[in-house]
Amino acid sequence: MVFYGRGEPVIALEKVALQVPAGQFASIIGPSGCGKSTLLRLIADVMQPHAGAITLGGDTPRAARHAHSLGFVFQAPTLLPWRSVKQNIELPLDVVGRRSAKRSARTTAELIELVGLTGFEDALPHQLSGGMQQRVAIARALILTPDILLLDEPFGALDEITRQRMNIELLRIWSESGTSALLVTHSIAEAVFMSDRVYVMSARPGRITTIIDVPLERPRRLDMMRTPEFFECVNRVRDGLFGHEQIQVSTPREPVEAY
Amino acid sequence: MASVLSTLHKALRATWRPFATAIVLIGIIEAAKRAHLLPVFVPAPSEVLLEIWNGPRLVTANLAPTAWKAASGYFIAAIIATAAGSLAVSLRALYGTIYNVSVMINSVPIIATAPLLALWLGTGPQVQIAIAALASQFPMLVGTMQGLQAADSRQRELMHVLSASRSQTLRYLLIPSALPYLFAGLKIAAPSAVLGAITAEWAGADRGVGAMMLYALFSYDTPKVWLSVLLTCLLAGAGFGIWALIERVAVYWQHDVELAD
Repeated sequence: MVFYGRGEPVIALEKVALQVPAGQFASIIGPSGCGKSTLLRLIADVMQPHAGAITLGGDTPRAARHAHSLGFVFQAPTLLPWRSVKQNIELPLDVVGRRSAKRSARTTAELIELVGLTGFEDALPHQLSGGMQQRVAIARALILTPDILLLDEPFGALDEITRQRMNIELLRIWSESGTSALLVTHSIAEAVFMSDRVYVMSARPGRITTIIDVPLERPRRLDMMRTPEFFECVNRVRDGLFGHEQIQVSTPREPVEAY
Repeated sequence: MASVLSTLHKALRATWRPFATAIVLIGIIEAAKRAHLLPVFVPAPSEVLLEIWNGPRLVTANLAPTAWKAASGYFIAAIIATAAGSLAVSLRALYGTIYNVSVMINSVPIIATAPLLALWLGTGPQVQIAIAALASQFPMLVGTMQGLQAADSRQRELMHVLSASRSQTLRYLLIPSALPYLFAGLKIAAPSAVLGAITAEWAGADRGVGAMMLYALFSYDTPKVWLSVLLTCLLAGAGFGIWALIERVAVYWQHDVELAD
């Protein structure tokens, strides 16, 4: 992926090889500007790659998008403010046609229950908290039973407490829906806790430097965040992110404590 | 129905203060006039009201023609401005041209062009309708242009990921997000149409608030001049108020973010 801005073209992504087996949960983690979101947008066919290929169950991203087998959750909830919770969740149905075969086996009411918003069906987005809005966005991404759920830092704007709660809920929703999921995140703990596999990226040009498989069993529980296996994975992700810098920084006289 | 009633109720609650202020001010002017503190060209409010009492025909015979001429010009302008605004947004090449023409029309002094238009279009109501349209088009065009571009890039991406067609994007995203801007334009344009029609009536009209104003001015009949001013304010305010009410019902998701009404 190459961006042409003013002056020199910028190589945003280079040598990215990434595979998400069907039904699995994968995460991409990396510093700001490493091209995580760009990668997700390439998969969702919002942008086109300069070179290389992306396939989703054998389809090109364009074909997958037209077949409505993608669910995308943005950083911000991106709800339509004039639509109620129910109408926002049903927006994809309005686009595809209500009698479409892609329609979820679940009714809207069941999806609303799945994301824990029963009783708020007729509320408008501005009457909801940020976490509730993001749950509406997740339900909206699930209504057409996507084969892959793309999540672009969906909880980045939430506080830590709400975020952990949402992580657990998202895992529950994901395991019940049976889709594959690809999550872009800034948080090491979130990446490890959620995923079967974590891809660590580095910036300029964006590339995948480390791949870490998480051996924690499913369903995940919050107390797993205290296990040695969890810390082992967190440390490996941290090494993947900061490994090179630690080597450079530790050469001066003063030893630098890794955190 | 209940929502319309509650909207009316809210509107009433929002307007009673300015209304009360106006009454108090009128009372003060009346008292000042009776105490001979005001110059001769400011009549007592009671004298102006007495004009209505003495000749209600004068009011109705002049108010109605101005109202329908202003409204006709306004609706013609609304149709043309929203069409031109949509065209400008969908055809980028025309954007600058349409916008600049609209700015130019808006900056032409009506007082000078009304007699010229009268020479061209004749002295019938068509001159006042045309001027009302020219005077009110700009805010509606700007409202349409800004409104249709108001959807943010994430919302557009969402429609793209959903593979929505152009017409679906227009229906589900672009038009609803344009409504607040469109209503702002419609609201601001309504008084301009009234003022345009009245100014155009000066260039030759036998009926209308503008004609009444001109006759009263030439015969030094200050209460009648002020009566015509009052009628102008009423018409312009009513035009604004009707759209403000419709906006409250139509743009129901923005009640909390309204700045001024």
